[in-house]
Amino acid sequence: MAISGAAMAQNGNGNGRGNGNGGGDKAQQERGNGNGGGLANRGGGNDNRGGDKGRGNGRVERQADIRIPDVAGDMTRGQDRIERDVRREVQQRVAIDNGVVVLRREANRGLVNGCPPGLAKRDNGCLPPGQVRQLERAQDPYNRYNYLWRTLGGDGDYQYRDGYVYRTTPQGGLLGYLPVLGGILSPGKAWPAQYQYQQPPQYLSQYYGLNDRTQYRYADGVLYRVDPQTSSIGQVAALLTGQQFNVGQRLPAGYDVYNVPYDYRNQYADSAQSQYRYNDGYVYQVDPTTQLVQAVIQLLT
Amino acid sequence: MRTAKTWALAPVMILCLAACGGEADKARDNGAPSSKTLAAAIGDESDLDTLESVIQNAGLSGVLEGKGPYTVFAPANAALGTAGTDLSGEAMRAQSAALLRAHIVPGALTRADIVAAVDQGGGGSVQMRTMADGLLTFSKDGDTVVVTAADGATARLTGEETVASNGVVQPMDGVLVKAG
Repeated sequence: MAISGAAMAQNGNGNGRGNGNGGGDKAQQERGNGNGGGLANRGGGNDNRGGDKGRGNGRVERQADIRIPDVAGDMTRGQDRIERDVRREVQQRVAIDNGVVVLRREANRGLVNGCPPGLAKRDNGCLPPGQVRQLERAQDPYNRYNYLWRTLGGDGDYQYRDGYVYRTTPQGGLLGYLPVLGGILSPGKAWPAQYQYQQPPQYLSQYYGLNDRTQYRYADGVLYRVDPQTSSIGQVAALLTGQQFNVGQRLPAGYDVYNVPYDYRNQYADSAQSQYRYNDGYVYQVDPTTQLVQAVIQLLT
Repeated sequence: MRTAKTWALAPVMILCLAACGGEADKARDNGAPSSKTLAAAIGDESDLDTLESVIQNAGLSGVLEGKGPYTVFAPANAALGTAGTDLSGEAMRAQSAALLRAHIVPGALTRADIVAAVDQGGGGSVQMRTMADGLLTFSKDGDTVVVTAADGATARLTGEETVASNGVVQPMDGVLVKAG
């Protein structure tokens, strides 16, 4: 119960819920996740995770009992049975409802309005106040590789300058800026004060072997080590897609190929009944026909 | 005791690596991956030297030595060309990182996994999500796997894949971001 409650709190922004799946909704109610406490409950998930260790292959079979009502919405079994299943699921430390904690990529990539601190808005970017400088594209060494920032997606043009990527309209109007990995988000630099982040949830900090998750920050697909006292950025701990998968929803585009980590391939092999896909520390069990996510599996064994 | 057991298994694992290397169906059956990390596997391959320098410049070597797993679609030296030379030094660190993120996908994808997915997919192509939040499309041209990025950049998987301890390196002959 503690884990689930904390998990929901860590999601923080409250979306990704309410997918209309009967079993899933009930699971959330049963788990009592109404605290909405955000960061206040972060320590709650840290109880007996060690119980996962050495559990071996039995997990698949145990899960098979439970996933059917969750996905098919089979309400004929009655609420008590579902609640018992949910309790058992919590005890087994298998996240199976749509409250699974992931580190999410923001839809706009965390684009911040205006200019970074200390810089003033100019026609097509942000420059130090008083600096008289025309942005001469041909002479700017960065501009030759501006095409790389198109990987950020969205409309408009991108330019890189002094650690930030600026997004502009085709006419040059500034839409906002992004602190980027390898730019302002580099080892030794201070975390930009306006740039929002998530702390990794307990499960992912264990999965990635982080000693102290308060020393890590996630933003836009990257998990950074950051000194909590000085906000000084350290090494990059992991890259993530930041994609959300909810039980009962369709698998997002981009997970067509079997990609389960080697150590888990015997345990989670594709079959006519289920497919398995890995993303950001979790394995997702998917119905091959409907492509609906049946279960979310943590990889702590 | 545990260490002793691991060492005792080492010759068996080496034998299996030698015997199973390149047999994709064995890899799918949980054949033993290399004990090398992705970073080491890329470092050991001379035709990926330029990519290695871009990884180091981006500050992402640690990630490719870490837990993962990831699959790195690895442009050969010639494919990176001028970009590989230019993307060096602190001034190009962010660009290096941006380029790499478009070449890394979550999980361990062997070439056999990709081929199987394309063959079973029905439409002749399948997709995977990158760490740059883009989609790579995989298809086949004869026996060759072709990768196409959302912006139209294409590359063909070449050479031998390396199944590392924390993912897979898939060498290829192109870059998955369209220049210009």
